[in-house]
Amino acid sequence: MLDDASPDDFESGLKPLWLRAQSGDEAAYREALGRIATRLRGYLRRRLQSLPDEVEDLVQETLLALHLQRGTYDPTVPVSAWVLAIARHKLVDLWRRRGRRDDRHDALDDVDEALLVAAPEEGETRRDLGRLLQQLPEAQRRAILLTKVEGLSVEEASQRTGASASAIKVQVHRGLKRLAQLVRMERA
Amino acid sequence: MKTQALVEWLSRGAGPAPRHAVARRLLPAAGIGVLFSAVLALTLIGPIPASLYATPVPWMKLGYALALAAAAGWLTAALSRPVARVVRPRRAVLAVVSAMALLGVAGLLAMPAGDRLAALLGHSWLACPWNVLALSLPALGAALWAVRGLAPTRPRAAGFATGLLAGALGAAGYSLSCTEASAAFVAIWYSLGIGLTGALGAVWGPRVLRW
Repeated sequence: MLDDASPDDFESGLKPLWLRAQSGDEAAYREALGRIATRLRGYLRRRLQSLPDEVEDLVQETLLALHLQRGTYDPTVPVSAWVLAIARHKLVDLWRRRGRRDDRHDALDDVDEALLVAAPEEGETRRDLGRLLQQLPEAQRRAILLTKVEGLSVEEASQRTGASASAIKVQVHRGLKRLAQLVRMERA
Repeated sequence: MKTQALVEWLSRGAGPAPRHAVARRLLPAAGIGVLFSAVLALTLIGPIPASLYATPVPWMKLGYALALAAAAGWLTAALSRPVARVVRPRRAVLAVVSAMALLGVAGLLAMPAGDRLAALLGHSWLACPWNVLALSLPALGAALWAVRGLAPTRPRAAGFATGLLAGALGAAGYSLSCTEASAAFVAIWYSLGIGLTGALGAVWGPRVLRW
């Protein structure tokens, strides 16, 4: 996880992991998200020097967005470029909510992976995702708690609740989407 | 919650990434859009005489509208992803519009000079772009909603592409109600209506395409 290699090495290490994660390898996904988190933190720390308290929250918000949008990843694009484009989008969104105009000189899809420096040590968050989880509708919260926190498989969660396996999957996805919305709304 | 805990959380039971995520949102929206525009055109404006279907008149318009919808849909799909690859889809949009323009010019050149203005303006040039725009609105709503659920990072460009897609779908519906016969008419007034819808999408994009 402590990855101080150059950005090119970052991409070449991340890409195979990410492709395995995309096809369903959970361990690879965990490892890839962990590596991405340290790079996001480094990138956002530099860009948010005036708002250091926001860094870790934005890291988490970006990770949530990456997860929800992993279906839009195109394998011909470097993973780091894709991650950076989403991080930039979230950063601009934060500035806008803070009432600042976009940095217009900073084209959104201008991808320079050298910006993704590693920063493994985690900062403090101001918002607690666990608390926001309490605001989700009951079925969504339960599906997330069972599969994500208790670590049940979808089938086990389905047996526990009486809902079908596909309903559980839908509830988890909707719940995470709703959570991402709550995160944005809370910051406004 | 710690970030490392969130990572554990997101990866646990995550399964494979959704496949064809972009197509699965865009195609149903496009289907709903074209259905609405066709139904609205047939009920509010009325169908063209059935005999016209034996001529190239409606087919030329439908062909143009659907080809442009395919190209603009490709562009919209590209702009629905972070790091959009737009060069080839943009070329496809330009190619379709240029082909229709060439067809229009060829049609004008083939007719006597005195008939050209009448062919260009037809009997409905004032209404046509607005009808296309109006019939595109359901498609625009549906397609913007679809794109909003994806990951556009260039909202104005994505809104414009979405508007072109919606405009082309609206034009497809309008071609069921429009009796104009000249290619030049279609090349100008249909394209203008589609372009207006694109402009509306570009205006709404930055407001609507937030995630």
